[in-house]
Amino acid sequence: MTVSAATRLDVARPEESRHRTLWHDAARRFLRNRLAVAGLAIVVFFLSLAVFADLVAPYPYDRVYYDRVLRFPFELAGHPLGTDEVGRDYLSRLIYGARTSMTVGIAVQMVAFVIGVPLGSLAGFVGGRTDFLISRFIDIMTAFPGLMFSILIISVWGGGITKVIFALSITSWIGIARLTRGQILSLREKEYVEAARCVGVSRNRIILRHLLPNALTPILVAISFGIPAAMFGEAGLSFLGIGINDPIPSWGKMVGVSNAYVRVYWHLALFPTVAVALSMLGFSFVGDGLRDALDPKMIE
Amino acid sequence: MARYILGRVLSLLLVLFIVSVVTFFLMHQVPGGPFDETKAPLPPAAKENILRKYGLDKPIHIQYLNYMKNAVLHFDFGIPYQQPTTTVTALIAKSWKVTAQVGLMTVLLAFGAGIALGVYAAYHQNSWLDNVTTFIAMLGITVPSFVIAMWLILFFAVRLKWLPMGGWNASGTCLIGSAYICTDWIMPVLAYALGPLAIIARYTRSSVVDVMRQDFTRTARAKGLATKTIMLRHILRNALIPMVTALGVIIPNLLTGSIFIEAVFRINGLGKFFVTSIFNRDYPMIMALFLLIAFLWSLTYLFTDILYTWIDPRVRLGAEGGA
Repeated sequence: MTVSAATRLDVARPEESRHRTLWHDAARRFLRNRLAVAGLAIVVFFLSLAVFADLVAPYPYDRVYYDRVLRFPFELAGHPLGTDEVGRDYLSRLIYGARTSMTVGIAVQMVAFVIGVPLGSLAGFVGGRTDFLISRFIDIMTAFPGLMFSILIISVWGGGITKVIFALSITSWIGIARLTRGQILSLREKEYVEAARCVGVSRNRIILRHLLPNALTPILVAISFGIPAAMFGEAGLSFLGIGINDPIPSWGKMVGVSNAYVRVYWHLALFPTVAVALSMLGFSFVGDGLRDALDPKMIE
Repeated sequence: MARYILGRVLSLLLVLFIVSVVTFFLMHQVPGGPFDETKAPLPPAAKENILRKYGLDKPIHIQYLNYMKNAVLHFDFGIPYQQPTTTVTALIAKSWKVTAQVGLMTVLLAFGAGIALGVYAAYHQNSWLDNVTTFIAMLGITVPSFVIAMWLILFFAVRLKWLPMGGWNASGTCLIGSAYICTDWIMPVLAYALGPLAIIARYTRSSVVDVMRQDFTRTARAKGLATKTIMLRHILRNALIPMVTALGVIIPNLLTGSIFIEAVFRINGLGKFFVTSIFNRDYPMIMALFLLIAFLWSLTYLFTDILYTWIDPRVRLGAEGGA
């Protein structure tokens, strides 16, 4: 379904170059999309902040200066974005906050991929009772709000970054599994799969070599939208005060804490909210761009 | 139809059962209890009495059965640990009105403004308002409501000092003309509504554009009907069918979104109790709130599915993936 018009013409080409053509086309379409490129720039910016936080941040995230509590931006030379309610450099905490946010976003989607894709393919390909069980399980999981599940898990096992990832992962794979199942269901009736089956290709090989590569693009798009969703989940939990624990910085938690100080210390609220909004916009632009680039049918 | 509804109701009950079991057993996994002795050491006899009073000395499955029996038969969800002088039912009864008020106003604003913006944008494609709508839609869909709420507070309450920082039905200027309107409604509803408003505007715009290209619209125009008639009778009627799907997405999210809005604006509704219950490990309260949300959530799904088939006869019920 995602084979582009160009590749459909030269089916005779060896598999390697066909793959390169699809991705090459997609990259070209992606780079022509201005919003997608802007989004990519934002994502790269925050990702590098996350990776190189130790080098970029002027102070450790947990260093407390008792004599510099609640300073405004540029009030002190060493703290361009001011300090927080216990006297920690706000810029450094924002930078390390990127690390928290990105880690959770990416880790949760990795779990979603690792659980959702195998389960979805199994349900879609094997069918019958396996499909019934997995589908009903998915239905039941959908029948309850995902964020509520995470809150429930957190309230039972407590906060912290690994528990937040765990709590958000519990529901994150459902969409991926359902999507994969649908993809596999529609793809397995295609002629080329029938042909492969006729010449005696094994089930696993059909799934891995014929079905999954063709199902991959929509899954990829879903993952790219899932990352900001997971970041939202982390920010939300931390905002309520039940996500990331002190002293690890989290943008959501910084917003939540700032609520008590916002009347005077506006900078505590402004900077983390901008960080949350920018990073999520960036990831969404990339997701939109990827979707349009990978699905040639969208172009009209 | 009746068979389909019956099946859906049964699966709703199954879901509620599973949710209640999972919640109940998870709640009892929580480290520490409401009568933690680190806070107040108790003599063993007193502790035993307290445990017996709340039924905490029985095996867990008996506790569950007792709980469900009281909940279903007597609508009795126990006594909240945070306010032992009332019941959970009374506490929820007291605070749901505020949450429902916020939610109702949000739905009205989101649907009213969202449909209006979407229709306008479809009729004036690539005009400045269309671009503004697209921008707002992007913001509303991607940025969390509590971030928008914070920005509104920073701008309208802190910077301009036009609006109160928070509260609900609390700020002084409650009477404007003869209508009962509070200034402290504005920011929560705005922050809360922006996300759904954006989704609705987007849905409406694309489906109006779609219907505008249909043959029957061209026929209506060709036979000389007024633009307004075509818009109301031909386009909107058909374009609004997908809105039911949007409803199914938006209403459940509103149920959980209230937690954030109530936290930012310090509104004493269900959402606030939700958070305080988790902090206080108030099992009965958490249980009841989770069941309530699961119930409303499944009910919305059921309702929108039925509504959809009722509005659009082309949808066949019961078929796999058809509804």
